[in-house]
Amino acid sequence: MAANKSQGSFYGLFMVALTVFCGGIAYWGEGIGKLLFVVGAAGLLASLFGMLKIKPLEGKTAMKPSPAVMKLVGAGLAALGWVITLFGMHITPSTGGRIALALVGIAVSLLGMIVVLPAAFNKNAVWKG
Amino acid sequence: MKIVRSSCIGLCTLAIVLVLMGVAHAQTPAATAPSPTTAELAAAAAKAPTTADLAKGDPGGTLTGTINDVPVSDPKAGLTVPDVATQVGQNKIAINFTWTLITGFLVMFMQAGFAMVESGLCRVKNANHTYMMNFMVYGCGLFAYWVLGFAIQMGGAAGNANLGGLQSLNSEHAITLFGKTWGIFGQTGHFLAGHTYDVGVMVIFLFQMVFMDTALTIVTGSCAERWKFLTFCVSSTIMGAITYPLFANWAWGAGWLSQLGVNNQLGKGYCDFAGSGVVHSVGGMTALAVCLIIGPRIGKYNRDGSSNPIIGHDISAVLIGCFILAFGWFGFNPGSTLGASANGNLRIGSIAVDTMLAGCTGTFGALLYMWMKNGKVDASMCGNGLLAGLVAITAPSGFVSATNSCIIGFVAGVLVCLSCAFVENVMKVDDPVGAISVHGTNGLWGVLSVGLFADGTSNYGGSWNGVTGSVTGLFYGDASQLAAQLVGISTLLGFVFTFSFLLNLVLEFFVGHRVSIETEVAGLDLPEMGQLGYPEFVFKPEPDVLRQAEREYAVA
Repeated sequence: MAANKSQGSFYGLFMVALTVFCGGIAYWGEGIGKLLFVVGAAGLLASLFGMLKIKPLEGKTAMKPSPAVMKLVGAGLAALGWVITLFGMHITPSTGGRIALALVGIAVSLLGMIVVLPAAFNKNAVWKG
Repeated sequence: MKIVRSSCIGLCTLAIVLVLMGVAHAQTPAATAPSPTTAELAAAAAKAPTTADLAKGDPGGTLTGTINDVPVSDPKAGLTVPDVATQVGQNKIAINFTWTLITGFLVMFMQAGFAMVESGLCRVKNANHTYMMNFMVYGCGLFAYWVLGFAIQMGGAAGNANLGGLQSLNSEHAITLFGKTWGIFGQTGHFLAGHTYDVGVMVIFLFQMVFMDTALTIVTGSCAERWKFLTFCVSSTIMGAITYPLFANWAWGAGWLSQLGVNNQLGKGYCDFAGSGVVHSVGGMTALAVCLIIGPRIGKYNRDGSSNPIIGHDISAVLIGCFILAFGWFGFNPGSTLGASANGNLRIGSIAVDTMLAGCTGTFGALLYMWMKNGKVDASMCGNGLLAGLVAITAPSGFVSATNSCIIGFVAGVLVCLSCAFVENVMKVDDPVGAISVHGTNGLWGVLSVGLFADGTSNYGGSWNGVTGSVTGLFYGDASQLAAQLVGISTLLGFVFTFSFLLNLVLEFFVGHRVSIETEVAGLDLPEMGQLGYPEFVFKPEPDVLRQAEREYAVA
């Protein structure tokens, strides 16, 4: 099953709920803001669960499950590199030291992004047969 | 004695009265007599062409636009110096509004270029779907930006002198760390309502919105030919509402990256003149995140890991699209001054020429690399070389010389070829249009090049990001600017990528990014859009290698 009416309905709900949710944020200080926020959040969740419900109807995809831990490690490494760079700014006041630590941080992030994550997704790739 | 005392009091009173009269006498002429300047204005108004003169026509354009066109606040007093000064101020803002709006319109037109490039590089059976993604990304992004994104990005960006101050954008949520205050996200401007119902805010909204949309449309190219339309809509909406505005706030909306200079003495803070990082790298990082999740197209890779070329259906659309993008880039970079009048904005000429040159040398870089490597000119890669040069010059365009822009562009042209090969053959990530390399890799290169090549000659009102002086890179004596740029790059890799990746993993769970095998094999036009892009075309069968792969997937 490809595109269908249910998809359109749930996307419509998603957009309306998003609008209400953002209205809640905009008018948070007023009484109605919190109500809009809760109603909007409930609508967003409803739309997502609706999409989840119709997901199996859409047929088999050319994808296989890949190792979740490896994916999390890859994402974690990418984020860790950023943290290294941020703390590097405060560990040393010297420009050279900050540049060096930023480069270390970038290298760690790249390790996660272009080595670990692709390996995770390609481990059980469909094209490997 | 009484007589003497009375006489003294009388004399004193008389003296005071005389003094007061004298003062009053001295003030009276100044208040009534016209000052020379006012008199000159009145004389000039009298000499200006009359209605009768203008009624005869003004073919030479020498009569139209005179002192009589300056609005007068008090008709009884006539034209005054404050009237003229007010008009001068309005003219400055009007010039800047007009400039920013027109350049924003140019950037909006880039959507057409993206649509042509991306669709041309895809197979004909997916043409309608790819065009529609590029079409709808405008709507999804614009709506999301209006309800939430703009407030996050620009809610605390008050103080822009070019656009009249934007004083209603005055609420930035900040945290205090290590004894310094860091901006995290803006808090005003949702729905452009309340105090943000303001002429200046509308101008900056339009300009920033079309930038945001450029970032969103980068992802559609990378995920083309297998991205479920529903998931594309939801993902793009979230990106326009949260991912892009958050990083854009940090760089352009008084956020913490822009404060690295003030708080940490890192150059002038993170500098990204027109968005190599903010727009292109954010798009490129998100494209990589979604591409990893969604996987390669059926038939792209063989069992041994080697890749098959999947040729696009319309190279003419690709090259025309590239030219449209290059045209739009004249809005992207020169427009990022947010004005043409005052505050060093006359540098727009230099920025425009830098943009042209980098695109030119980027094309040469890709052309020569592919020609020397493969013995043939690769048209689509030349197009990507042009775009790579333009992407790379986007961040430094306001700070570098023409020669340096040529170097930056040429490096970008070669880099895009190397990066495309790396992404496809080493990472095994299928990017049909090369967007990860064009926008992601070269966006990072552009950010880095500010820290290397900025020559310290720009002067946008005497300071940048609140730090006095001009942006100066390593090659011109300021290594700390390079450090600030590296922090920006690290944030793009470590935060933007990870955030996008996790958000899209959630969407993968709830919605699923990829279309079914049947849909992918048939082409997305009919199953997803209900209509072929080119209904009267007779489709040529796929090459054997792709048909074999499709059969295997269908059986599996």
